[in-house]
Amino acid sequence: MANNPMQQFSVHKIGPEIKIAGVDLSFTNASLFMIISASIILLFLFLGTKEKKIIPDKIQLIAEMFYSFVAKMISDTAGSKAKPYFPFIFSLFMFVLFCNMVGMLPYSFTVTSHIIVTLILALFIFIAVTIIGFAKHGFKYLSIFVPSGVPAVLLPLITVIEIISYLSRPVSLSVRLFANMMAGHTMLKVFGGFVISLGLLGGWLPLGFSVALTGLEILVAFLQAYVFAILTCIYLNDALNLHH
Amino acid sequence: MKRYLNFFIAFFAIQGYLYAAEAGMPQLNPKYWASQGFWLILIFTILYFSISKFYLPKIKNNLDDRENRIKDDIEDANKSKELSESKLKEYQKILEDAKKEVIKIQLESKAKSDKDINEKKEKIEKEIEKELVQAQKEIAELKKNSISDIHNISKEIVANIIENLSGDKLNESSIKAAVEEISKKNVGKYL
Repeated sequence: MANNPMQQFSVHKIGPEIKIAGVDLSFTNASLFMIISASIILLFLFLGTKEKKIIPDKIQLIAEMFYSFVAKMISDTAGSKAKPYFPFIFSLFMFVLFCNMVGMLPYSFTVTSHIIVTLILALFIFIAVTIIGFAKHGFKYLSIFVPSGVPAVLLPLITVIEIISYLSRPVSLSVRLFANMMAGHTMLKVFGGFVISLGLLGGWLPLGFSVALTGLEILVAFLQAYVFAILTCIYLNDALNLHH
Repeated sequence: MKRYLNFFIAFFAIQGYLYAAEAGMPQLNPKYWASQGFWLILIFTILYFSISKFYLPKIKNNLDDRENRIKDDIEDANKSKELSESKLKEYQKILEDAKKEVIKIQLESKAKSDKDINEKKEKIEKEIEKELVQAQKEIAELKKNSISDIHNISKEIVANIIENLSGDKLNESSIKAAVEEISKKNVGKYL
């Protein structure tokens, strides 16, 4: 069972079963690692903001770098109107990033490798963006589906395509993150298994691959968090500044 | 949209049941979906509120403080720079003025000393000339006197010599005439 590369993704209950209105809401290893990631974020931010120094120390500098990084990302992609949503995007980016990074530790659990987690985040973003769009622009928000400068003959087709692409946003957003995380971790596990099964003679090559993949996966962990956040910014930009 | 969503969830639920057993993809096992969703929403909400209410304002304040501090410092530095530039200009002006003054004083003192020297020179020259004239006069007088003295002395000497040689006393006027004649002839030799 331990040789199964999918074993690492299995969710199991920790502690007693919690059932509310017939729905199983038990505390699981997934919940545990969500709490661990959130605690690391909060601890990191606590240490980063503990002392207000004019010349920051290392941890304060890193916290401020995260702040400026996300602030720049938002102002670059969604403009100044998106400022009220900065805390959400910041929290989102940090949560996804730290879940991904914590998942890189051996024997840990990757929260974002579960489609349900990424799908809930993506659906929340999708619904929120749609509500913001309608709240800001009313029914004019529907013009997002009708790009300007398109020949009248093509317009119905383009509109249908636009609607489909809009509706598939939560799917693409969630599947991208989930699939990247799952594939990377599965690969790591497979190569790790090769190291064991090929033994002292043949195990060196997959070990090298494993090391290289670990580096790649850390990059992917950061990149996917960034992509998730920046796509949220882009969707927000569509809702805030009606460009089409 | 809701239908789409329902379809999506149903699709994955069925897929999950189908594949969870076969290929063993725990992600598609809906047993703990509700639990994961519940804990995700709970934890993310807590995270969001503590970040947005507590940590982000702190970081923002600190960044703003630093920016303001830097701006102030730059302003101060610019002020100091302007001040030092104006001071430098003042200093250069003072230096230039002093140089001009020095040149002026030099010229003045030179003119004054030149004038002084000239005056003194003229005065001294005048004195010298005066003394020269006086001396020439004295010399001329001395010459005149010496000639008459020589005449008298010669006359006496001649009278004495003649008296001693011949024992006779010659007429004084004749001796005088003779001495004068000889001295007239020879006076150029001595004077």
